[in-house]
Amino acid sequence: MKLIIAIVKPFKLEEIKDALAAIHVEGMTVTEVKGFGRQKGHTEVYRGSEYTVDFLPKVKLEIVVPDDTVAKTVDAILKVAKTGKIGDGKIFIVSLEDAIRIRTDERGDAAV
Amino acid sequence: MNKFFEKMRDPRQRRVFYAIFGGKMLGLALCFALIFGVSAYLSSRAQAQTPAPATAPATAPAATPAAAPAAPTITAPTAAATATGNTTAAAAAAPAAAPATPPNPPYVNPINTMWVLVTAFLVFFMQAGFMFLEAGFARERETVNVLLEGIVDTCLCGILFYAWGFAWMFGHGNGYIGWGDGAGHTWYCLQNLPDTYESTGVATLAFFLFQFAFADTCSTITSGAMLGRTGFWGDLWYSIGVSGFLYPIFGHWAWGPDGWLNAIPFWKAAPFHDFAGSTVVHTIGGMIALAGAIVLGPRLGRKFKRDGGGPMPYHNMTIASVGAVILWFGWYGFNPGSTLSAMDTAGIARVAANTTLAACSGGLAALLFVYPRFKKWDCGATVNGLLAGLVAITCPCYWVSPLGAILLGAVAGVIVILATDLLEYLRIDDPCGAWPVHGACGIWGTLSLGLFATGEFGAPTPTGADNSAGAVVKGLFYGGGTDQLVAQFIGNAAIGIGVFAVAMVLMYAVKATGTLRVSKQIEEEGLDLHEHGGTAYPDTKTSSH
Repeated sequence: MKLIIAIVKPFKLEEIKDALAAIHVEGMTVTEVKGFGRQKGHTEVYRGSEYTVDFLPKVKLEIVVPDDTVAKTVDAILKVAKTGKIGDGKIFIVSLEDAIRIRTDERGDAAV
Repeated sequence: MNKFFEKMRDPRQRRVFYAIFGGKMLGLALCFALIFGVSAYLSSRAQAQTPAPATAPATAPAATPAAAPAAPTITAPTAAATATGNTTAAAAAAPAAAPATPPNPPYVNPINTMWVLVTAFLVFFMQAGFMFLEAGFARERETVNVLLEGIVDTCLCGILFYAWGFAWMFGHGNGYIGWGDGAGHTWYCLQNLPDTYESTGVATLAFFLFQFAFADTCSTITSGAMLGRTGFWGDLWYSIGVSGFLYPIFGHWAWGPDGWLNAIPFWKAAPFHDFAGSTVVHTIGGMIALAGAIVLGPRLGRKFKRDGGGPMPYHNMTIASVGAVILWFGWYGFNPGSTLSAMDTAGIARVAANTTLAACSGGLAALLFVYPRFKKWDCGATVNGLLAGLVAITCPCYWVSPLGAILLGAVAGVIVILATDLLEYLRIDDPCGAWPVHGACGIWGTLSLGLFATGEFGAPTPTGADNSAGAVVKGLFYGGGTDQLVAQFIGNAAIGIGVFAVAMVLMYAVKATGTLRVSKQIEEEGLDLHEHGGTAYPDTKTSSH
């Protein structure tokens, strides 16, 4: 069981959701986040002057999948989220000890 | 300096220098030409203006203008007589002889002028309502774009309406376009204006301000259907087309002093009536909006109902609904102000009451009509429903009874929902519902006069109401036959179809310049960041200052 954390461009969210639904990954947690990597910040304009915004808006997806679907899930995200330009985001994969569905007390893969 | 001469030895550098220098000189010459040319033009006009008010009696001798420049220097009584100029030359020669009859045009009527000014301010405030409504219905990432469009449309429209819009729309000319007073003086740049507009008793500039506010709403309506994907240059170009050309010219057909719809030549010379602009403002605005939405195409990622999608979500219902109520408030200037007369008190009261009732029934009808679909009380639909009622009552508000207003408003509330469904079916993306509200209900409102006019009311005059038998308007439901209905249909169809055709050409022309729609990347990341360099709701916690 793995936790996949994908940080992507906000407008890619809808496409990623559809791509994941197509491979039957149907459950995720989405957060609007700010941050920077190589892309750094950017400048904005206000009353005739420029100012720097260090953190860019991104969307963070957290998806838990059984071990055997990790590769498929990552491929699906990569395929859709890639624009080839700096700022496309990152994917982190974390091992997960356990998962529990609160309603039924199910554990492990069954709870995902 | 040495560096400069060194550079000049290189022939290529020299050519560049000559080109830049020549360009600068050309620009400078152009500036001087403008400064002197325009001031010479204006001063010559101003001199001609003093002695010859536009509707001066035909007896005013042609020689008077030539004498005018001398007027300020001659003795006081004579100067006064010349300045009042709309009396005859005889009065100028014998200052003691006061004019026995009131001069023509009539005196500026203070209360009518004040009424028109107050309502002009109210109509102007509708701009705030439009900005709220459109910003609320837009997505967060294009909010600044929507707000700036509202502001820039206003600024642009004011200048264009000053330069030629007012002359084209409200000047005398022919049935299709106006330009001046009909006696050889043009009204461009508000020159040569009479003291009062026609026989209204309203100071001409007050009337200008009132009509500018109307023109402004027309161009803002258009932007509602085009938001989220229109580049700002494209917005500027089509706004110039709308406020500078489409609105004044097509508006003249119905509202110009000699517009051809005042007496439709091929339909019993019957007059087309549009009290406050269901056709002139709303159908024109709505039709241009439709043309814009068609030429632009839907926003990226917009899926339509029959493709398994639905409208893109709004981002702030609070400001959208408050915007609609501000518009409702502004409508108390839009409709009651169109009497152009504060003396027609019964008329104003009736218009204001009808306006209110149509909005009420429009809102309720839309609310109840949509409820069965999802068993939800839909705020967005109700907002558009009340606006639909207001748009529909705009044309017939003076001539219908309160009951008529309620009925036609309710029909508008249903029409706006059906029209929205129609656009969805046709895969046309209209983010705010500009065409369903202003186009479809503008058409309905114009036609409804031919159905609901009671036959009791005629026209407002500067001193009261003219409800004489010759002036009254009677609709089909009150035994007036179909004459008025057909006249309404002809007027609305002529303006609606005409403006739609020209607007399609305009939009395709702007599209050909490549400025109408932004690139895919800009649209995905948001117009605010790319076109305006910042968002409406910047996150102050994570910016460095």
